[in-house]
Amino acid sequence: MSGRIQKAEGRRQNGRKGGRKSLAFILAPVFCILASSFWLLFFSNDLVAEPIWREATPGYQFAFPRDHAAHTDYRIEWWYYTGNLATADGRRFGYQLTFFRTGITPEPSNPSRWTVRDLYMAHFALSDLTNQKFYAFEKLNRAGVGWAGAETNQYRVWNEGWEARLEGDQHILSAAEGNMQLALTLAPEKVPIIHGEHGVSQKGAAVGNASHYYSLTRLRTTGTLTINGEELPVSGSSWMDHEFGTSFLEPEQVGWDWFSLQLNDGRELMLFQIRRADGSIDPHSSGTLIEPDGRTIRLSQTDFTLTPTQPWRSPASGASYPMTWKIAAPAHGLHFLVRAAFPGQELQTTASTGVIYWEGSIIASSNDAAQGIIGRGYLEMTGYIGKRMGAVFDAVTP
Amino acid sequence: MLPLCSLFHQFILRALLREKLRTALTILGISLGVGVVVAIRLANSNALGSFRAATEAVAGETTLEITGTAGRFDELRLRELSWLRDYGRLSPVVTGYAMTEPTSATEKKGEFLQILGVDILRDRLLRQYDLLQLREGDREPNAREFLLLLADSQAVVVTEKFARRQGLTLGSTFTLIISDRKSEFVIRGLLRDEGPARALDGNFVLMDLAAAQWAFQRLGSLDRVDLKLAPGVAVEVAEAEITKRLPQGLVIVRPAARYSQMEKMIAAFHFNLNALASIALLVGLFLIYNTVSISVLTRREEIGMLRAVGTGRGVVLALFMGEACLLASMGAGLGLGLGQLMAKAAVQATSTTVETFYLAVVNPGATQPLQGVEGAMAVGLTLLLALGAATRPAFEAAQVAPLEAIRGPERLLKSRQWSWRAPVAACGLLILGGLLSRLAPVNGLPVYGYSAALALVLGGVLCTPIILWTMCRQGDRRLIRLPRLLPVERLLARASLGAAIPRVAISVGALAVSLAMMVSVSIMIGSFRETVVYWIEQTLRADIYARPLTRVTSIAEGDIDPAALALVAADPAVVAIDALSVQRVNFQGNTISLAGGDYAVLFDHGRLLFKAPQDAYDQLRRGIGRDVVSVSESFALRFGKGPGDVVELPTPLGLRPFEVIAVFYDYSSNHGVAVMDRTTYFRYFPAARPSSLSIYLQPGANPEEVRSRLASAVGSRYLVVFNTNRGLREEALRIFDSTFAITYALELIAIAVAGLGVMATLMTLILERRREFALLSMLGMTRGQMRRMLMIEAVYIGAAGQCIGLIIGVLLSLVLIYVINVQSFGWTIQFHVPMAFLAQSTLLILVAAAVAGLYPAARAMSANAAQGAREE
Repeated sequence: MSGRIQKAEGRRQNGRKGGRKSLAFILAPVFCILASSFWLLFFSNDLVAEPIWREATPGYQFAFPRDHAAHTDYRIEWWYYTGNLATADGRRFGYQLTFFRTGITPEPSNPSRWTVRDLYMAHFALSDLTNQKFYAFEKLNRAGVGWAGAETNQYRVWNEGWEARLEGDQHILSAAEGNMQLALTLAPEKVPIIHGEHGVSQKGAAVGNASHYYSLTRLRTTGTLTINGEELPVSGSSWMDHEFGTSFLEPEQVGWDWFSLQLNDGRELMLFQIRRADGSIDPHSSGTLIEPDGRTIRLSQTDFTLTPTQPWRSPASGASYPMTWKIAAPAHGLHFLVRAAFPGQELQTTASTGVIYWEGSIIASSNDAAQGIIGRGYLEMTGYIGKRMGAVFDAVTP
Repeated sequence: MLPLCSLFHQFILRALLREKLRTALTILGISLGVGVVVAIRLANSNALGSFRAATEAVAGETTLEITGTAGRFDELRLRELSWLRDYGRLSPVVTGYAMTEPTSATEKKGEFLQILGVDILRDRLLRQYDLLQLREGDREPNAREFLLLLADSQAVVVTEKFARRQGLTLGSTFTLIISDRKSEFVIRGLLRDEGPARALDGNFVLMDLAAAQWAFQRLGSLDRVDLKLAPGVAVEVAEAEITKRLPQGLVIVRPAARYSQMEKMIAAFHFNLNALASIALLVGLFLIYNTVSISVLTRREEIGMLRAVGTGRGVVLALFMGEACLLASMGAGLGLGLGQLMAKAAVQATSTTVETFYLAVVNPGATQPLQGVEGAMAVGLTLLLALGAATRPAFEAAQVAPLEAIRGPERLLKSRQWSWRAPVAACGLLILGGLLSRLAPVNGLPVYGYSAALALVLGGVLCTPIILWTMCRQGDRRLIRLPRLLPVERLLARASLGAAIPRVAISVGALAVSLAMMVSVSIMIGSFRETVVYWIEQTLRADIYARPLTRVTSIAEGDIDPAALALVAADPAVVAIDALSVQRVNFQGNTISLAGGDYAVLFDHGRLLFKAPQDAYDQLRRGIGRDVVSVSESFALRFGKGPGDVVELPTPLGLRPFEVIAVFYDYSSNHGVAVMDRTTYFRYFPAARPSSLSIYLQPGANPEEVRSRLASAVGSRYLVVFNTNRGLREEALRIFDSTFAITYALELIAIAVAGLGVMATLMTLILERRREFALLSMLGMTRGQMRRMLMIEAVYIGAAGQCIGLIIGVLLSLVLIYVINVQSFGWTIQFHVPMAFLAQSTLLILVAAAVAGLYPAARAMSANAAQGAREE
């Protein structure tokens, strides 16, 4: 999931240079603080030898189920579940359940349980496709006494009552907020797909601006959704992304569009493009085409085109998102249209981080109208308004 | 018939203006009375109000709080509480006080700040933090950014007010003292004067939860978890449900409970202050009664004339009631202003007591101005009381028959007649007082005790005429064998005073009341002081005492680092240390102290004074290791527990039964203390640190030397204050004396008011006796003799007042010591009469009375002699 890339600036030292004006603006107070407490460097041991986060570098050897669990020596990590589900009588739903971990201080000096080593954020959204209703919730917590966390020796990540964990090879998801609930069991139908080359998915020009990134692209899903108190048995197909690294995006990279598609012919497609401040597409955009047997074909930026049309203006945020994309990868015989199942699937996390993005269920259909729907998936569009998605992961460690 | 107001103007106003001095004295007297009441009220509401405001400001939108049965609790217990999320938003809190560095060497303490340690991510929905942005155009940071501001353990956000006061700004580092340590902090943000920042006049520090735990050295424990209920959840329902589900050792309270608990504790103290202040007002009301009475008595002729020309009784009544109203409203108006002026002094005078016994930190800010409604109520109440006081003389005026206008010389006959009713009523009141003093308190307030005091006072007042009569008729011959000095002047003084008894009785009564209060209060305080001195001598046995710097009073926070304790123990001169740990807990809605001390050290070196049982030491020795406690006398009285009873004390494991095995005397606090041996204490409070140390030295060691040695050995690393035994005794008595300073001040004001009354009465008497003076001087009396005669009259008045004052005062002191004090504070005070002080004050009263007679005498000499002679 290249998507949720952040624009964590290339953060190796404290002195990052914000390319964008707003970035500089936001960081300026941080600089003031850093400057004013600079003398601490001479007195405080933990700052003299500041531990640094591990970078995502080529050669990483994935192993499962070990790599489902948390990698706390990397600064940024997330587990992303999206899926399209339906009831027996044909009511369709999309869901998103995401757990983020952002490292704040790798080796905190204060032994309190409440010390913020990592921040845990989670987003939970349900799309009622039939009624075109969208419900989204968020959580932001420190680990504290275990109110949120991600285990390292086995796969379990949670935020208050929301949780994803492994039972055998099945992923168990649960989340509830008021009378909206989700309880799903996900069984992988394919092996984990590792994106990028040599175990890294490069996101920026600098070495280390990359992530280790794999997906479970087809998970047979059963369980129940509770929509406004109504309990509905559902089944369908989910997609899981797990990505970890330390610095991803560069300042000129302002946003991204990320697609996950499960095609009816047994193939899956992951594509992401990073948009640059000047309007161009970043050369590190890429994708992966997964064959029914699990073989993968890597798509580089030049192998595909994404053409947005039909802008929709969100009444809530004022952002304008394209609702239809024309996707073409001629070398692999891919030509089709992707459209949002319905427009209003925008998340606003104003209470915690201020990030606004669109993440919703999409429908793929052939350019040839006769063939009809050829697949379903999820689309994430960030950087269209408000704070950059990357702001969620900015680290401030004086 | 003249319209009423014009009549009022002619008949009352003019007279008042003519008698400028008397009018002024009356108004001044009332205004002092009202002023004292207002000042005390303001001081009381300031202490409580600032606590309430701070509680409310810090509570924010918290609807319920979960805390440990014994206060702080293990944070891991939160894991049992994930179900609480269904009720709303949770925010764990670590809180406490820190002190700024004393700015000069002479200053003993700095300013106290309340530190609130929260997880800002969660807390922002409960409390409003209006972060002041220093950069133009910057927006309010979101929760995540706010958190990152506080992410390291030195980061704090302070209020703009505090920063300005201390000359700090964003990025400044500054030092705070927490318990026995100094810590450096960096200001990462400034708060506007909103929400919790308003607490304690801006002395508020926001920290991250982790940083606060670290700063207070309280890793792993929380003070409470605040809960903001989700919309639509009823508080009562949630409270009941949560109470049912909470595991042992945790309780749920409403934020306001802390305030009402404090209110309950301090109520007795405030009630007593109010009662004392009311004495001045009471005396002021006597003044009104006195003034109106005199005005009626001296003007019966004129009243008769008014009646003769057709003025109705109602009008006469209205006239004199109007006079009372006028005097009272002017006095009350003046009193309001005076009260505001005196409020600051009252706050200062009471703050030592409040900080020593009730509130660790009193808002340092200015006192609140009087509310309009409260002011209006004070004036209204004074008017009402004044009208009540004037009723009797005004009715008497209304009874004057038109014929009396002509019967001028006989005008005094009626009131000179003796009534058997007064002595009977006096006896009745005294008996009533005795009975009332036996009744139990109402809601912990000695309401009947004060009623008994009032009955005694009124009984005393009713005795005044008898005493005066006895003094004038018999006294000189039989009772007092004075050398035969100034026989003529004395004879005349006695005769004229005896004739004026009905008129002077009231003002002498007022004087007697205030003197009685003075006597009783000084007996009470004297007894108390003797008791405390004895107690200190018996129980302060250690050679050196140590406390953390921030523990400026017994209820302030602070503990001593175990490493500092080890340093003390390492000193070769130290033979034993009794480290006392104290935890303030909520017990049956009251705050009490649970303390853990070393019984073994106490037995070998120290000493406690036990009230019960006889063999307390043996009992305690046998109780070591078991769940037993010894409780302070105030605990025993307040909760009605004695040796053998079982109390369910709050511990981190929930309520646990403890057997009370002894009751000891303790005058260091009145909120109740339960002490257990350290072996028991540490079973329940394993992480407890000592709050104070009692250090015993080798025989022959020089305490002063050891003290300075310890101070330099420990002081370089820990902020621990060492006091020698002598130093602590002096300190204890200093606090004692400053606690009671306000009592004396209030009494002095009451006496001053009464003195004004006596002076006003004398002036009236003299004006009335113009003819008599003229006659006397014609008969060859010199001016000097006449002056001495008048001074002797004044001394008689003073003596009568003091005589009644002494008798009633001793009775009152019994009520104060054995009823009011016990019911309010739960202390046993050994009765002790400070003879020297009483003799001294009696002499002073007599001299003061003589001096007070000087001015009226001088006036009598000058203006009226000639005029009087002409009339004759």
